[in-house]
Amino acid sequence: MERITIRFKVNGEDATVAVEPHWNLLRVLREELELTGAKEGCGAGECGACTVLVNGRAVNACLYPAVEADGAEVTTVEGLAGPGGELHPIQRAFVEKGAVQCGFCTPGMVLSAKALLDRMPLPSEEEIRTALAGNLCRCTGYAQIIEAVQAAAEELSR
Amino acid sequence: MAAKGFSYHRPTSLGEALALLADLGPGAVPVAGATDVWVNLRAGKLAPEALVSLRNVPELSGLRKTEHGLALGACVTHAEVEDDPWVAEHFPALHQACSGVGSRQVRNVATVGGNLCNAAPSADSAVGLLLYDAECRIETGIGHRDVPLTEFFAGPNRTVLGPGEVLAEIRLPLPAGRTFAGYRKITRRKAVELPMIGIGARVTLGADGRVAEARIALGVAGPTPLRVRKAEDRLEGELLTREAVAEAAEIAAQQAKVRDSWRGEAWYRREMIRVWIPRILDEAVLSRKG
Ligand SMILES: Cc1cc2nc3c(=O)[nH]c(=O)nc-3n(C[C@H](O)[C@H](O)[C@H](O)COP(=O)(O)OP(=O)(O)OC[C@H]3O[C@@H](n4cnc5c(N)ncnc54)[C@H](O)[C@@H]3O)c2cc1C
Ligand code: FES
Ligand code: FES
Repeated sequence: MERITIRFKVNGEDATVAVEPHWNLLRVLREELELTGAKEGCGAGECGACTVLVNGRAVNACLYPAVEADGAEVTTVEGLAGPGGELHPIQRAFVEKGAVQCGFCTPGMVLSAKALLDRMPLPSEEEIRTALAGNLCRCTGYAQIIEAVQAAAEELSR
Repeated sequence: MAAKGFSYHRPTSLGEALALLADLGPGAVPVAGATDVWVNLRAGKLAPEALVSLRNVPELSGLRKTEHGLALGACVTHAEVEDDPWVAEHFPALHQACSGVGSRQVRNVATVGGNLCNAAPSADSAVGLLLYDAECRIETGIGHRDVPLTEFFAGPNRTVLGPGEVLAEIRLPLPAGRTFAGYRKITRRKAVELPMIGIGARVTLGADGRVAEARIALGVAGPTPLRVRKAEDRLEGELLTREAVAEAAEIAAQQAKVRDSWRGEAWYRREMIRVWIPRILDEAVLSRKG
């Protein structure tokens, strides 16, 4: 099939990629743009390892047709740190609370948390659990992740 | 990666979308949030010649609220419904059904129209919409027709949509009277799971305090999401008593065509219908008093 050229912003920078109609956004990010923060776990919307933000909303990049990214603003975990490489408060809270073990789920967790805190600065524990329900973690048991999001929420709201 | 070999089209008006579907012929498949389409492509269950995306069609977006009710563009996402306090207040069962679909990532893209058109027996939002007498506006390319949701499903993953037709809007009248409603999906884990059984109930009281309208709707209780008219009949015209509700729940449990599957056994699904129809209405009454 003929490729389709899409133009979009990734982490604030312009990107132009010629994509095949059957590619998903995850493939464009990882293989074309070499942003390997988003991971492929299930490839079917179940695990959240591929979570990125499209126009501020958390989506599963594995189910997001690449063509539909045309004109969008995409944020990956690589776009969160500050210009000097200092970690985003959510990332720092994950490190401090022990919410990262193998790290496979972490980019997706952090972005789901960011989308939540951007629309709901001080969520309840229940609201955090709901927002992160689509992100599976095989290591941490989730408690530290919830704590990290709570700590980040407090810091960001200060 | 999805199956190869299809072209991808992104019309920016309804007219353009319908024209594309007509020109491309029966090998062209509409796609909205792609949460079913992409999974099916990947699984090899779908091999379209073309995908026609409805995402950028403005006529299919937006929630419109009027004094008569609610009109949902077919491409309204589950998250838009979830985040809308007006819908939560006036159509609580629909709000609960939509908020329980998949994960936030899924709800951010999955559309309500896609949930109906995919026509899974387990479709959560479909059950919520059945409770509120939803009507579907179908654009045919040469005009439109309106079909009650009760007549929209034709079987598992089948609808009355003809080739090239697009579901454009879903309309729900506001219930006229004091209304108690809710939806509960029974699952083995708390999130990101299809219902083992989906249970919805609504009663709207008349001026005389009796049940003017009763709606009992179920998912995974037959080939399509469905209403249980016999259970509704048990309630209509009656006072809303525990006995009447328990009997209606018993009728719904018996009418349900539930099966044993790896997700759950038939007896348990039936039992959940018995238990949850009264609970849903109890909870709705209590929350309205609060
Ligand atoms: C991880 C995961 C979890 C899920 N959990 C749930 C759940 O808990 N409950 C549930 O009910 N579903 C669930 N689903 C299924 C799916 O998300 C829903 O059915 C969703 O509403 C489909 O909407 P969509 O916009 O993504 O549809 P798409 O995948 O874009 O389309 C679905 C079907 O409808 C057709 N279509 C879409 N829009 C139109 C239109 N306007 N006119 C004509 N045809 C149209 C398409 O051609 C296709 O056949 C889940 C899916 C995933 C991947
Ligand atoms: S890889 Fe996308 S949800 Fe699992
Ligand atoms: S830290 Fe290993 S999967 Fe979450």
